[in-house]
Amino acid sequence: MKTRVLVSLAALAALQLGEVPAVSHHSNVAFAVETVLTATGTVKEWQWSNPHTWLIVAVDDGKGGTVQWAMEGRAPGVLLRAGWSRSVLKAGDKVTVHYSPSKVGSKVGMIARVTLSDGKVLPNAPPGD
Amino acid sequence: MRTTISIVAAAIVATASGLLSIAISAQSPATQPPDFSGVYRPINAVGPPGAGRDGPRAGGPPAPAPGQPLPPPTRTAPLSDGSQGRSPTAPQLTPEYLARWQAMSKSRVAGSSESDNTAKCLPPGMPAMMNMAYGMEVMQTKDKITFFSELNDALRRVYLDGRKPTPAILDDPTYAGYSTGRWEGDTLVVETVALRDNTYIEGFTPHSDQMTVKERIRFTSPGILEDRITVTDPKALVKPWETVKTYRKMTTPPEDQLREFACAEGIEHAR
Repeated sequence: MKTRVLVSLAALAALQLGEVPAVSHHSNVAFAVETVLTATGTVKEWQWSNPHTWLIVAVDDGKGGTVQWAMEGRAPGVLLRAGWSRSVLKAGDKVTVHYSPSKVGSKVGMIARVTLSDGKVLPNAPPGD
Repeated sequence: MRTTISIVAAAIVATASGLLSIAISAQSPATQPPDFSGVYRPINAVGPPGAGRDGPRAGGPPAPAPGQPLPPPTRTAPLSDGSQGRSPTAPQLTPEYLARWQAMSKSRVAGSSESDNTAKCLPPGMPAMMNMAYGMEVMQTKDKITFFSELNDALRRVYLDGRKPTPAILDDPTYAGYSTGRWEGDTLVVETVALRDNTYIEGFTPHSDQMTVKERIRFTSPGILEDRITVTDPKALVKPWETVKTYRKMTTPPEDQLREFACAEGIEHAR
């Protein structure tokens, strides 16, 4: 229990610094893949990196404030073929993220799809894949 | 008169040699092995439900008509934690290795990536790397074929020049192993030995250091490459396991190029 609290604190600390959480997943076993939730917010950072990309979002908490989430996306190579790019997202963009939540309840999700404010949809797989 | 005979004789010789060269050129395509070189994308990377695979993935129903809002996705990836048991098409494990799989499944269901080599940026190894989930590039010469996987920048070489694995090679197992191949008509027959035991056959199905892999690779139609894989492991498998991977050749930019993967970029100590 103590370990879990420490891990969560570390993850939160990392999020405060705008960093990818200390617990880097790169593996879908860390996520409840059969659950897909929706979050709306503002992009703080878009990390176009391998093996997985990261979208840091200030998510509306429904009470006038925001909570920071780290959303993990697929590799740049795959996302390129799905219509994404290094510059498709930037700080300040309003986005809606469909994501699978972390199994341990941290503010980390795995991206299923992102919708931009102009209605453009970014799927997490190339067409026909 | 003599001159005429000579000319006729020369004409006959010329005609005969012409026929011969026509016969040779008609025969040569059959004796020349096909060229597999090119960039391919997998047609069946995910496999049957429950087979498991790394990486988030699209789920849910097909896209609606243009202009209509998309329905919410139903999931992000196939379950790869074994919580639904082993697929009937998965390799059949001996009790010792089934127990290992069950222990890993328990850890995965709890959310641990401990048994996930790909998450640690290790090479997927043979035969799992032939899933080529993110695409593969084949480079072929007369004496060697090299297979490159975009996922984890993994690479394997198949030697075609008749060399065989030496005791030193057999004593030095690697992720991709040591592959030798020969042509049987238009089919490349490959045998792979000297494989490490810390990789997975597919998903997270474990195996021993006695695993060997045989493949039959051919074009089934223009641009469609098929790899029929047979995995043998007397310690881990009840019987040899067979699977078929299919890939489509990409011919137009940008689909015909792979992107750098550089997995270590995401590893904590590398940043």
